[in-house]
Amino acid sequence: MVVTRSERLAQTFVDLADTLVDEFDVVDLYALLAERCVELFDASQAGLLLADADGTLRLVAATNEAIELVELFQLQNDEGPCLDCYRSGEQVLVDDLGRGGTPWPLFARVAREAGFRSVNAFPLRLRDRVLGALNLFDVAPRPLDPADVAAAQAMADIASIGLLQYAALSDAQALAGQLTAALESRIAIEQAKGVIAERLGVGMDEAFDRLRRYARSHRRPLSGVAEEVVLGTLAPSDLSA
Amino acid sequence: MHRDRLIAMIAALGGSSTRDLCRACAEVLGVSGAGISVIGAAGSEPLCASDSTAARIEELQYTLGEGPCVEAHARRGPVAEPDLGGDAGARWPGFRAGALAAGAAAVFAFPLRVGAVRIGSLTVYQDAPGPLTDDQHRDALAMAEVAVHELLVAQAGDATGGTADRLAALGAYRAEVHQASGMISVQLDVSVAEGLVRLRAHAFREGRPLADVAADVVAHRIRLER
Repeated sequence: MVVTRSERLAQTFVDLADTLVDEFDVVDLYALLAERCVELFDASQAGLLLADADGTLRLVAATNEAIELVELFQLQNDEGPCLDCYRSGEQVLVDDLGRGGTPWPLFARVAREAGFRSVNAFPLRLRDRVLGALNLFDVAPRPLDPADVAAAQAMADIASIGLLQYAALSDAQALAGQLTAALESRIAIEQAKGVIAERLGVGMDEAFDRLRRYARSHRRPLSGVAEEVVLGTLAPSDLSA
Repeated sequence: MHRDRLIAMIAALGGSSTRDLCRACAEVLGVSGAGISVIGAAGSEPLCASDSTAARIEELQYTLGEGPCVEAHARRGPVAEPDLGGDAGARWPGFRAGALAAGAAAVFAFPLRVGAVRIGSLTVYQDAPGPLTDDQHRDALAMAEVAVHELLVAQAGDATGGTADRLAALGAYRAEVHQASGMISVQLDVSVAEGLVRLRAHAFREGRPLADVAADVVAHRIRLER
């Protein structure tokens, strides 16, 4: 049976609602959003970035943690569609990075070297604030159709709302606290990746995959599992290959 | 931008010890006082306080095992009690009475953490009830981030250079710094916290940006010696 796109979209919203209860963790929500974006919009890779108090865009979740892709997110603090999207609060849609006259020569070069041809950025907006961006990469040079643009923006809006899980909408302090907690959770994951990669002699992407698989199969938040690895209460060798 | 401003303010205050750090926190945030406790398996332990009331607040939490600092640590997020004298039910009954008697009317605690490395809390108090302003709250979060790095250095006994120099050398966030900390912890058989300190010390000695050294560690281009 062919599953239509609207059925997949509906299923995504059901799964997302599931993550908003119990042991809610922003990083898990963002990881799920990134994965579903890739499936729904036929993108190659997706990532979600939040800006810290200094305005630095920091990766919170991505479909793949290969160093080349992580670098593509990080270098957008200098130039790139995410930075423009974050600064303007507007979508930045680029259907062909190969076309001349790009405003981001460095980003375009590194992205093409990594095999990507089109890139799209959607703002994480909360009323008059921009919190970060959803970034989609594709190996094919192609525009997103208008229905996908609207649906991708809806996914970005869910990411914004997810930060407010425990915060009243007007509460700037609760939002700041959630933002900090999400970024610290992400740091715990980076620390755990380092421990796992070194202990098991694998790359950062494989280290992350093992962490994620363990968290999912044990139905636990990614950041909780990462913390145990960092503190040494969970051995990297216990994360199955 | 924001952290840079705080670092400049701390540098202007001329502090060099952890005690100065608490005074700097109180002054930069414009609150009545500030204190820091480190928290381990055995509970909280007062580290510094800007005045006698702040010292009493840290002491009470150490003695009673309850209070905002302990709660912020456990919750991994900020805790606010803007009116200690108000009707807030059973939250920290022993601490509440003692803190009021010591002259505090409102307390706010912020966890000191770098990812999974959680070392304690920064607690600030006000002598009149009321919430922190959004600016004070944002500054307190940034101060907690600054403080945790200074405390890690102090704990490792490797205080090279001045506070402002060390903090400025941290640079902007890079994922590799934290990946490298984890790798070094395995290589040298130390905690991830110490892995971070060793990475920073290496960058400082070589006069290189922290992010560059971290990228070298992750790519196996360099390996730190024991």
